[in-house]
Amino acid sequence: MTEHTVKSYEEELALLDKKIAQMGGLAEQLLGKSLEALERRDPKLAEEVVTADRSIDNLEREIEEQVISMVARRQPMADDLRHIMGALRITTDLERIGDLAKNMAKRSLAIADESHPKPLMSGIRHMVELALHQLKEVLDAYAERDADKALAVWRNDAQIDAMYNSLFRELLTYMMEDPRNIGISTHLLFGAKNIERVGDHTTNIAETVHFLVRGFNITDDRPKDDQTSSTLISGT
Amino acid sequence: MNLMPSSSTRPVEKLSVRGLNFYYGQTLALKNINLPLYEQQVTAFIGPSGCGKSTLLRVLNRMYDLYPNQRAEGEVIFDGVNLLSPKQDVNLLRSRIGMVFQKPTPFPMTIYENIAFGVRLYERLLKHDLDERVEQSLRRAALWTEVKDKMHTSGLSLSGGQQQRLCIARTVAIKPDVILFDEPCSALDPISTARIEELIDELKQEYTIAIVTHNMQQAARVSQKTAFMYLGELIEFDDTAKIFTSPQAKQTQDYITGRFG
Repeated sequence: MTEHTVKSYEEELALLDKKIAQMGGLAEQLLGKSLEALERRDPKLAEEVVTADRSIDNLEREIEEQVISMVARRQPMADDLRHIMGALRITTDLERIGDLAKNMAKRSLAIADESHPKPLMSGIRHMVELALHQLKEVLDAYAERDADKALAVWRNDAQIDAMYNSLFRELLTYMMEDPRNIGISTHLLFGAKNIERVGDHTTNIAETVHFLVRGFNITDDRPKDDQTSSTLISGT
Repeated sequence: MNLMPSSSTRPVEKLSVRGLNFYYGQTLALKNINLPLYEQQVTAFIGPSGCGKSTLLRVLNRMYDLYPNQRAEGEVIFDGVNLLSPKQDVNLLRSRIGMVFQKPTPFPMTIYENIAFGVRLYERLLKHDLDERVEQSLRRAALWTEVKDKMHTSGLSLSGGQQQRLCIARTVAIKPDVILFDEPCSALDPISTARIEELIDELKQEYTIAIVTHNMQQAARVSQKTAFMYLGELIEFDDTAKIFTSPQAKQTQDYITGRFG
């Protein structure tokens, strides 16, 4: 790409990418840690996640301010406009991902004294691993301006949805077996839902990256596989 | 993520430029230009200095006829007739395709005469009707309230922005079909610029408008279609919303984002 005649413009755009990369890295870390906190019922680790989420919030504010200032001073056009508006959208999605991770970590405090349902935890672990992989891929797609990679991430979200569906059913069954499981199962269910939402924000980012690179929106219909809002297991 | 709405009704092609080449002496200044101008739409021409956008505008009302050694090849179809044809009555043409220039060019006459002068060339009106036409034109150019009490002072006594609106009133007074603006705001302050832009927005309801501008944001604000020209060639022509959010040609992209030019 040819450089801008005005060098400081070029530097501001690079700074924007740097901050997004930093924010993305933090979001990945947070998500990983929140899983550990949940698995190990580790209140200290959960605290760490809550603190780290503040850095994400601060970065979001910084990026927002920079975007507003750039729009006002530079009046960006074409790919610059898509770049700058894309950064603004991505930063919002990353901030939400941070919040969801934080929320999940906090649940480890609530269920610290409950028993360990191992198979359920491994289901959650698989979901987080996939969500983390997706997040990493989409951040790479942004850094490399790779629309095909973004499209692959976008398509892959169906896997997270499928895992969520099966976990949802398992948790319902587990609750029906013994009402004493309801407490922990509910927390785990919300945790799983959070990860599913992380997946949705990741696909949002994928859509933004695609638009940023190609200049038009993804037009296919994404397979929507979260069926839990219409699922009920009757207790017979 | 469509950043700007585009008009929905199918536009009517008022002027069609076809295979246009233009020469200053031996120099080829426009190379095979093909382009429509639509009714009730503003078409903006952008590009670095010397790219041929002003030249193209000058062809559209045969302004180049005034100079020897300048000639055009190809066709410009205006309501079914090729206006480059030698049979075309140039004076009549210029009454139907008006032009507003970069620097305001009021005649050294009263404000009233600045407008009445042109009208008298083409129409024979009664005093009362002429008065009405002058007022109407000044109102259209959003200048009436500022000058109605000094209609018989010199047009040159007005501020730059007012002079430019006087020139627009003068153009509108002879009821053209097309108005060509050649950098109409480059010598004006931001308030006057905003007034002219507001005016262009209103005028487009009735006229076909073409505007050459170096101000990219202005092109993005006032036009529905944008043509990007470079070294005498038309590089890209598309909906303005498209050009400024996702242009197809790399040269367009580089120019409007400030990477060259």
